[in-house]
Order: sequence, then C-alpha cells, then structure tokens
Amino acid sequence: MSSMPTARPANTVDPKLLEILVCPVTKGPLEYDAARQELISRAAKLAYPIRDGIPIMLADEARRLD
Amino acid sequence: MPENTNFGFREVPLTEKQTLVDDVFASVARRYDLMNDLMSGGLHRAWKDVLVTAVNPPTKGRPGRLKEKTGRPFTLLDVAGGTGDVAMRVIEAGGEGTRAVVADINGAMLDVGRERARARGLGDVVQFAEGNAEALPFADRSFDAVTIAFGIRNVPRIAQALAEAHRVLRIGGRFLCLEFSSVDVPGLDTLYNLYSFNLIPVLGRIVTDDGEAYRYLVESIRRFPKPQEFAEMIAVAGFRRVTCRPITGGIVALHSGWRL
Repeated sequence: MSSMPTARPANTVDPKLLEILVCPVTKGPLEYDAARQELISRAAKLAYPIRDGIPIMLADEARRLD
Repeated sequence: MPENTNFGFREVPLTEKQTLVDDVFASVARRYDLMNDLMSGGLHRAWKDVLVTAVNPPTKGRPGRLKEKTGRPFTLLDVAGGTGDVAMRVIEAGGEGTRAVVADINGAMLDVGRERARARGLGDVVQFAEGNAEALPFADRSFDAVTIAFGIRNVPRIAQALAEAHRVLRIGGRFLCLEFSSVDVPGLDTLYNLYSFNLIPVLGRIVTDDGEAYRYLVESIRRFPKPQEFAEMIAVAGFRRVTCRPITGGIVALHSGWRL
C-alpha cells in the first residue's frame, strides 16, 4: 500500500496534522525528527514513532529518552 | 485494590480491558464494515447519515450561490474511527475546506482506513493517528466537531474520554456520539435480544472467523450506561445543551453536547 501515489511521500506525516499534534501525556509541544521518523516530547522524555506515516501517539509504544 | 471494569459480561481489571478490546478489533479489522452491514441489515448507514447531518459540515452549496461557504475550513476529529467510514462520509458531505482526522488506538483498523481513503482519492484530506481516546494527542481547541460512533463503550474510562473530547473542541464546537442504546419498544426488545445474543456471534464467526469478538460486542452494549445516565456524564464533562435522540426504537441513540 506504500506504492499508492500521493502528493507527499507515503511515509511522512501530513504538515497540517503535525501542527495540531501534542504529547498525549503532557499536552506539550513535539519536535519532528524527520530522519528518525519520530515525534519527540522533551517534557515527557518520550519519542513517539511514525510508522508508514501514521504517528503512534501512545506512551506505551514510545521510546524512552534519557 | 486494582480498579475493575467490564469486558462484556466479565469483570476485568481496568488496565486489562484495553488489551482485550485491541484483540477484538485487530481480529476483525478488515471485515469490520462488512460485518456492520450484515449485523444491522444496512441500518448502520442510515444511523451514520443521521450523525453526518448533525455534524453539518459547511456545504458545497449550489453553483453561483452560497459560494462564500465553499472553502470554509472545518476540521472533524473522529475518535475510534479506524476504518475512516464516518470521516469520509463527513468529507463527502462538506465543502472544499472540510477535513478530518481519524484517531484510533488500533493500528490494524487505521491501516484499513488509510488504504480506503487513498483508494477514494481522499488521502490528503483525511489524516490518521494512533491514539487513546482517554489521552488524545491533539492541542486544545483544535476541532470544529468531535464524533465517536460505536466506540465509546469500548473505552475503559468513559468520563476521561469525554473530558478529552471537550478539551480538543473549539468554543462553539459540537460533540456527537452514536452508540447502541436501550430498546424501549415492547416486542422489539425481545426480538432484539434473541437476535443479538444468538445470531450476531454466529454471523461474526462465519464472516470474521471470530464469534467471541462479536459476543463481546453484544455484551458490551448491555453493559453500557442507560441513555439518561450517559447524557449526565456528557454534561459532567462540561458540555452544554446536552441532548439524546433515540433512533430505530432505541437500538441506537445520538448523544450531543456543545462546547460553549
């Protein structure tokens, strides 16, 4: 399904969605790491993965930052 | 003492319910909308039409008239809307500025939804995010409407999900919740019980190969708060002008509240 033609690469998050996404734990801002495809919440020390362009905004699925 | 909640007719620890519900939906994701058609005899389409009409996205208008409304931005959040069914209906009913975000805790349901959105050329106007209704990953006051169709009874902490829906709505935004309700027509209730407890699990087993999943769905409907009780919970979450409208003899109800 990643071969479907769209205006942007299928594995990136839509910029309009990025604008309204916050950390589900702190409701604070997220940093978008395009290279790692992660959304980072400094306050919660969590990195939320983006899988095939769908952000996984669950604390249980996030990578812990030290 | 760990807090308990219900999983169908079983009592389970609050923390375990989410895992059990996830298993149900991962198991049936691909045939979920087909099952809805079969179980409800197509009625779920009419119920969703009532929901979409209530969402009332800005319309396309007629050529040469009401043109100023065409591009008005309107963003819907559909919670627990994995397969994108409600989101795409709202987009098709609305004008050029109508967009939707689908949030679901279940990745399998979202994959199905995104695949369908792309196939219908709606890949750029419907976005998908995996998230928990009890801890939404969206900024305050981000949406013009928040809907949840046949999803709220699967949420372990309903009050928390209602508070989150309220938080992400803009002032003047509307919350709409379509859910199975309490059949209040004599005769229909008996028929409905016979049908749902005996036929639906069989249908579920044949179509999705998972009769247990559908037994859970039927039981969870009976365990859901009565309409008046649920309306009260919506009011407690901060919503105003809370209403409840029974549809099809109370098989389902459309609950509504405004953030004012």
